[in-house]
Amino acid sequence: MIDLIEVFERAESGPLTSETDYYMKRYVPKLSELLARHGVKWDKQTIINTDDELTDAVFEAAVDLIAEAGAYCPETNRVMQFTRDEIVTACAQCPKEATFGEGRERKTMYGRRPDTTDDRPWVHVGGGIYTTDEQVYMDTVEKMASFDIVDSVSVPSILHLRGKDARVRSPQEILVACKTVRLAREGIRRSGRAGLPIINGISAASQPASMFAASYPDFGLRPSDGFLVDFLSEMVVGYEALQKVAFYNSISANIGSTSTPLFGGYAGGAEGIAVQATAYMIMGTLVFRGTYHYNAPLHSKLHLSSTKPLIWAIAMSNAAVGRNMGYPMVNLPYLGGGSGTKQYHYEMACYMLAVVTSGGNVFSGHPAMAVQADSLVPDDHKFHAEIGLAAARLTRAEAEPLAQKLFPLFGDKLKDPDKGLTFQEVYDMKSKRIANADYQKAMDESRSELADMGLAVPVS
Amino acid sequence: MTDAEIFAKLKQAVIDQDEDAVLATVDEALADGVDAKAIIDQGLLPGLNVIGEQFECEDIFLPELMQAALAFQSAMTVLEPMIKESGAEGPKRGKVVLGTVKGDLHSIGKNILKLLYETSGFEVWDLGIDVDLFQFVDKAKEVDADIIAMSALLTTTLVGQKDVIEALRDQGTRDRYKVLIGGGATTQEWADSIGADGWAASAYEAVTLSATLVA
Repeated sequence: MIDLIEVFERAESGPLTSETDYYMKRYVPKLSELLARHGVKWDKQTIINTDDELTDAVFEAAVDLIAEAGAYCPETNRVMQFTRDEIVTACAQCPKEATFGEGRERKTMYGRRPDTTDDRPWVHVGGGIYTTDEQVYMDTVEKMASFDIVDSVSVPSILHLRGKDARVRSPQEILVACKTVRLAREGIRRSGRAGLPIINGISAASQPASMFAASYPDFGLRPSDGFLVDFLSEMVVGYEALQKVAFYNSISANIGSTSTPLFGGYAGGAEGIAVQATAYMIMGTLVFRGTYHYNAPLHSKLHLSSTKPLIWAIAMSNAAVGRNMGYPMVNLPYLGGGSGTKQYHYEMACYMLAVVTSGGNVFSGHPAMAVQADSLVPDDHKFHAEIGLAAARLTRAEAEPLAQKLFPLFGDKLKDPDKGLTFQEVYDMKSKRIANADYQKAMDESRSELADMGLAVPVS
Repeated sequence: MTDAEIFAKLKQAVIDQDEDAVLATVDEALADGVDAKAIIDQGLLPGLNVIGEQFECEDIFLPELMQAALAFQSAMTVLEPMIKESGAEGPKRGKVVLGTVKGDLHSIGKNILKLLYETSGFEVWDLGIDVDLFQFVDKAKEVDADIIAMSALLTTTLVGQKDVIEALRDQGTRDRYKVLIGGGATTQEWADSIGADGWAASAYEAVTLSATLVA
């Protein structure tokens, strides 16, 4: 694989162009041409693709997109160009596993192939949801970390300092990023699993300075945790991202290459998102030197990822990378329904069936449209991880009819989703046990309905 | 070809995002003596309205919207000088200054909004991303804007929208403009709390709301 400094130099040596011209003259026409050249087409019905010829066509289109459109560096106004050989080599040499955590919590996440039914995927739970109170923050993290099936956590964010939210790039932001890490590690220690990894480093940091400051070892993060580096916009590789790559590579930390291709944006609809999401995973290893990937395609207007074309595209990108690279990945599901609602559980089940059978690891859901502060409810995430593990026993062909049964239960509600609950509304704040009977009932009924459909979800 | 047929052909060319056909039909219309302003009002803008609706319904996406906007802009480079020369007023529905607030580097939502504004007949000054608050204030004053539209995706950058409104108040110019906010981190409650004139959940809603505000 080309070395990292050479990657950085590509941002200084490619052709000069404006961002508008990059999109209008390179990216948009090239992506459109590649979809036609490789015959990438969604039939508007399928949720989980089982046609591996189509899967491989998506992968080839993604390789060609990087080779023929390049990436764009806004700081230098240059196109970062890579040859097809460099891209193919990066795909072949990408990490096939990523090891996280310390002590007895030290475990390895593997890249999975579609239709693998005899492994135990990595189980990641949580999300960066805003939390209003330090006690709620620690209780949330402690409870998530205490579930035995959990291999790693994403921790929420806490942005306030002396009663006010920290402004981006302010000195206060550095303090809240450090505070977030300290509280998260303390919450994990209280669960009795001190070595459990945090792999969404760092939820409260929007800039490299805050991330680097909060990475100071005394605050509790280690190279064996995971640090996210993201693309700003389709194929845009900014200096801030490359600064993070430079630093986290220098300390040999796990890097989670992260991408959020926007449905309805420059990549267009389902087919474009499938190719772009796949291209991001290739770029994740080639440019960001990721050890794992956070795949988070999102609807540009609804701000969620559980529409039918998006689930198809996300699953497709998992299968494309699973078959052709083996890069370890998790998918961040943004769901319409609020925490604790049956809609939320149905969406998660449909999403898990699609991505886990297609080669993704397990990552619990994240309320998006109906998100509210303190709405990271740990028992939701345990249930969703259990759904993911149940889905891992199925092939894509077995999962597709189940996904088709589930989708009508929430598809019409995505624009006006059911509102959910907060941590405080679900738990007894002293015992931290579920105290809301309606919450428990919705979960029990959802579990029972999934079993009736043919997806038995055992309680772990 | 009647004027009505020419307008229908222009409309369809825009809907097809066919820049060559748009320019050829504009030439044809001008050769037939059709008024430049009528070409815009009765041919191009109705086509763009359909494009906007198709975008909202997800029949088309940003790439198609951009192609349609490019076709429209190409036609306007031919038509605008003629309108100016004739002394007639342009077809603009209002002047908009827009950008993503200080500290926020996200551009796609703002770019979609810009295109929808342009294709809906608004005149747009796009200040880009990570925009200093006084750039909004100064540009709005310079171009005598009707609307200031600000996007913020991150919770930590929301305050930038509040700062612009505060600066407008401090300068005594708040009432000169309609201030719209949007972006992933924003809500109607936030808009109300900072005294914005409107909040939109999507770019299409923002343009629809803007049309109401400047009517």
